Amino acid sequence: MPLIDIRDLSVSIPTPDGDVHAVRSVSLEIERGEIHGVIGESGCGKTMTGMAVLGLVPKGARITAERFHFDGEDLREKAQSLRGRHIGLISQDPAAALNPVLSIARQMDDVIRAHRDLPRKARRAEAASLLAATGLPDPERVLKSYPHQLSGGMQQRVVIAQALATGADFLIADEPTTALDVSVGAQVLALLRRLVAERGLTVLMITHDMDVIAEACDRATVLYAGRSVETGPVEAVLNRPGHPYTRALLAALPDAAPHGARLAAIEGSIPPPRSAIAGCAFAPRCPQAMPVCAAEPPPERVRGTHRWLCHLPEDAA
Amino acid sequence: MSATPMLDIDNLVIRYRAGLFAPRLKPAVNGASFRLVRGETLGIVGESGSGKTSLLRAVLRLLPVESGAIRLDGEDWLALKGDALRRARQKIGVVSQNPFLSLSPRLTIAEIVAEPMLAQGERQGPAMREKIAGLLADCGLPADFLDRRARELSGGQAQRVAIARALSLEPGLMILDEPTSALDVSVQAQILNLLADLKESRGLSMLFVTHNLKVVAHISDTLLVMRRGDVVEFGRTEEVIRAPAEAYTRELLSFGRR
Repeated sequence: MPLIDIRDLSVSIPTPDGDVHAVRSVSLEIERGEIHGVIGESGCGKTMTGMAVLGLVPKGARITAERFHFDGEDLREKAQSLRGRHIGLISQDPAAALNPVLSIARQMDDVIRAHRDLPRKARRAEAASLLAATGLPDPERVLKSYPHQLSGGMQQRVVIAQALATGADFLIADEPTTALDVSVGAQVLALLRRLVAERGLTVLMITHDMDVIAEACDRATVLYAGRSVETGPVEAVLNRPGHPYTRALLAALPDAAPHGARLAAIEGSIPPPRSAIAGCAFAPRCPQAMPVCAAEPPPERVRGTHRWLCHLPEDAA
Repeated sequence: MSATPMLDIDNLVIRYRAGLFAPRLKPAVNGASFRLVRGETLGIVGESGSGKTSLLRAVLRLLPVESGAIRLDGEDWLALKGDALRRARQKIGVVSQNPFLSLSPRLTIAEIVAEPMLAQGERQGPAMREKIAGLLADCGLPADFLDRRARELSGGQAQRVAIARALSLEPGLMILDEPTSALDVSVQAQILNLLADLKESRGLSMLFVTHNLKVVAHISDTLLVMRRGDVVEFGRTEEVIRAPAEAYTRELLSFGRR
């Protein structure tokens, strides 16, 4: 049984101008001990999917799903109690996740105290050992510091230590390296990989960056307009993409074209979040679209554990 | 093509003051020398604290320099003062990272693009409006954008407006500070294509600053890598990419897909 088992998740937010379909149909299976990347551009629903798993959707939002399970428990009922105990969040901006006026010792202690019944000295020792586990060289000095005295990379390690302090075994990392320099981001990704190997963690990595997927993830799911359109092993998704959108996204990257040549920009824009979509959401922008694409929902194409939704036959990919 | 480089920087040192009695800090830029040939793009890469922003600010004359020389279009750029500096600044157009912070939400697009021209004493009127429509068209935006406001635009459209504004005084040098870092990959490709078109059609010289080596490796003719205030790498882009001299450059290049 996968740790995360989501089938046909939708999240709609009612507004006076009609429902905003933040997530239209996302399916996601994440096995224990894997880093699963969810990749997509702005407005594709990747963050809202993560927030739904955390039980943090906006007030009034409607969640529907065929299955929406964490470790066999229904997230629609249990998300609130699983959050913090089993599911942790690492957000994009560590400086915003930490309180600027409290010492790291105090902020680590707040988390440890809320989850474990330990005497003060043992909590302090636990805080130091968690910071050491995230690769911070001098935990005692970090504990005495305030967030502004730490670099961005160090702050992100403190946030990861806090997530570990809850005892969570599943982490949602929402763009954890976007605010960091490339070399520091690479170190944070290496840390996450190490923690997955050493502690048996499972990670949902939300990102817009194909390089982060390549660097850190085992499997990846591509979202477009609130739908999961492709999922599979990272190597297959990046090197033999099935969905035309994934291909277009990879082709638009600056290192996909020869030096100085024109880049293959994707024409058009994503469908408005309030609109209804009959067929494939990518059809209006797809260079290979056929009449059927705009009319009917695309069927699933399967190549081992690599699956995508497209009207084009499998050998066209 | 003229032989004078667009920008010629020689042994530039920039140092911030720590306080009256504090020990002198290590320079933010430690003797940078490079030149930007007319009609070319120079990419500057570096992480936070590498000195790339200090360098840009010095070229914009927003920061005093400790020593060294900057020649812009053959002119001693650091010697200019007052009105002469103000007039000469027309030679530089600037595009920054976040278009929603650099475009006023209260003004129409026409007013935003008009502002630099009005500041340099051009007259408002139908001729100016026509010029603005032309600038927008060059940046891939239809004329009905004139009366819209920045908050109605997507990130890519807003960045196109910022580029149109930077071009309004017909600068020879464009300074682009992380112009695509806030954009999605597919939009980034559109903006990079637009910049390549403008460079071609207007003969622009560009200073393109970013932390994304893959972006700058694609668009630049020459590449400069900075680290902790030092220029660690400077050369033709293809050569730097093919045979990076520094471990740091190799590390940046090896991140991600292979």
